[in-house]
Amino acid sequence: MSKVQPRYQVSWFTILFVIVIGGLLCFATQHNAALYKAPVGQIIKVTNEKRIKQVDNFHNHDYSQKQILKVRVLNGQYRNKTLNVQNTFSASNAMDQAYRKNQQIFLAVQKKSDHKLQATITDLKRDTSIVFLSLLAISLLLLTMKFSGFMALLSVLLNGVLFFLAIKLDVLLQGTNVLEIFGVLAFGFAGLTLFLVLGKTKQMVVTFGATILGTLGSVLVTLIVLNLTHDQGLHFETMEYVTQSPKPVFIAETILGSLGAVMDESTDIISSLFAVHRETPDLTHRQLFLSGREIGKSIMGPLINVLFLIFMADTFAMMVLYLRNGDSWGYAFTMNMSLGMVQSLVSGIGIVLAIPAASWFASSLLKRGDRA
Amino acid sequence: MSTISVLVLILFVAMVLVGGLQGLKSFLSLVINFALIFMTVVLIGLNFPILGITLLNAVIILAVTIYLGDDDPLTTETAFYGSVLVMVLVVLLIIPMEHWAVVQGFGNENTEDLEGMSLLVGIKFLDVSIATTILSSLGAIAEAAIAISAGLGEILSQNPEIPVTRLFKDGMSVGRQIIGTTFNTLFFGFFGGFLGLFIWFERLNYTWGEFVNNKIFVSELLMILISFIGVILTIPVTTWVMELKVQRKRAKKIG
Repeated sequence: MSKVQPRYQVSWFTILFVIVIGGLLCFATQHNAALYKAPVGQIIKVTNEKRIKQVDNFHNHDYSQKQILKVRVLNGQYRNKTLNVQNTFSASNAMDQAYRKNQQIFLAVQKKSDHKLQATITDLKRDTSIVFLSLLAISLLLLTMKFSGFMALLSVLLNGVLFFLAIKLDVLLQGTNVLEIFGVLAFGFAGLTLFLVLGKTKQMVVTFGATILGTLGSVLVTLIVLNLTHDQGLHFETMEYVTQSPKPVFIAETILGSLGAVMDESTDIISSLFAVHRETPDLTHRQLFLSGREIGKSIMGPLINVLFLIFMADTFAMMVLYLRNGDSWGYAFTMNMSLGMVQSLVSGIGIVLAIPAASWFASSLLKRGDRA
Repeated sequence: MSTISVLVLILFVAMVLVGGLQGLKSFLSLVINFALIFMTVVLIGLNFPILGITLLNAVIILAVTIYLGDDDPLTTETAFYGSVLVMVLVVLLIIPMEHWAVVQGFGNENTEDLEGMSLLVGIKFLDVSIATTILSSLGAIAEAAIAISAGLGEILSQNPEIPVTRLFKDGMSVGRQIIGTTFNTLFFGFFGGFLGLFIWFERLNYTWGEFVNNKIFVSELLMILISFIGVILTIPVTTWVMELKVQRKRAKKIG
């Protein structure tokens, strides 16, 4: 199962370099307020008022509590001024939060008629935490995986850039061609990723073909099923963050969501088959096909579970809110989990279809007795 | 018939046709995991201790995914111990990170979906968010653990006398083969599902500053990074478990 051999090693020096730079970067985000246009403040003192008990219509017990925060502004025209800001939070913290000393926050500052400043909190500054976690992930990756880790990182980053550009394009076109854009993008994603992982090889071409076939197959199945069942039991209007017609966005999301997993499955099957062929070049097409199926079927279960758990867990906050708001299990499921369920099922179908596709592509391309 | 039941039927038939008995078992693991996930959220809704329920079900989900995903006893046992260890490590990272980033519950972008709902429901949403992050990383951890221990098992069966120190190198090289594609599975799995949100950011002209500090974006990025870290940790940890098992087995043989 050997893939591209590392062409050069990532040395210890590089890793140390990344960790030091990372530490500096984390430190920098603590002091980067000048980069932001919005006023950033640091909390220097917190005074909590009394808790007030709250009971809602569904007999949920909660409380609300006010806190007065003394904040020092770190940037802009109000720099070094101290302000008092009010914040209200609850025990559940669904949309609010209790602030702590030394946290940095974004503010909206207004000058009142009597020249006093009035400020409200718009959000917490989260860049340090996310930069820290990113650097932790990158350092661990380079530390354990060296060159392959670097390539994996590169492919994720390039895909991110591609994703970002496609979204710009979609907005530019007013969201009229979302399916076309992301359909084409899926080809781009697959091509780019496989090129980075496998290089410009026969193996890459085969894997690309199998990935496209698996994804295309699952999308066709979905479209047919959606048409035949008239979307029964699905509520596209419940999709979150929708600014354009929801159904095409949903299908585009489904294509992208399953693409990575289908690629994963195809890569594993085909690289194993190429390795098998190298060791025993005398296998017939049929034998190769069957051994591809054998490899594929042991991967498919865990792989479908990966996406399934991601899609389902993502709905937890909303599910809990529905359940606590007196909705039945069935209603909460339909409104929150059913679309994620469809996405899991579609990617599952894609993953399963990739098995015969990958086995067939690889077995028909690898000639018997050929020692390529 | 509803769309979901037709798709379930198609997936079931496809899995059995392609995978036979193994396909049936994999399908069963999906059904059980669904039941466990649903039970977890219902129990959280009923005010059960969130972390306790989540951790308990997380271990069961790992067991179900691994033991129904592969047959070989050496592979499954190693993968299970390895993934539980990694889960513990990941939880130890998730809890402080969630407290630091404060990304629980809902963001301003959810306002429309929350209309008419009571938000004062007396459930700690920070813990719900921890539960979400733990559960969403489990699949990737289980998958990587199976891949590593199956790869090592294969090497051991071909070369049973392989020195233990050599095994670690082999584990890392199996890891190198899976890491690229696993990362992409996670990347697309997470971000593909949030296409709508990204379009929203772009449409409403969010600045880079707003984008990088946005509650929902950071919560999503946090989940994806935690899963990445989980997968990375799985490689050495599972290899280490395999080493221990092999050492113990060999010691028994001699003694």
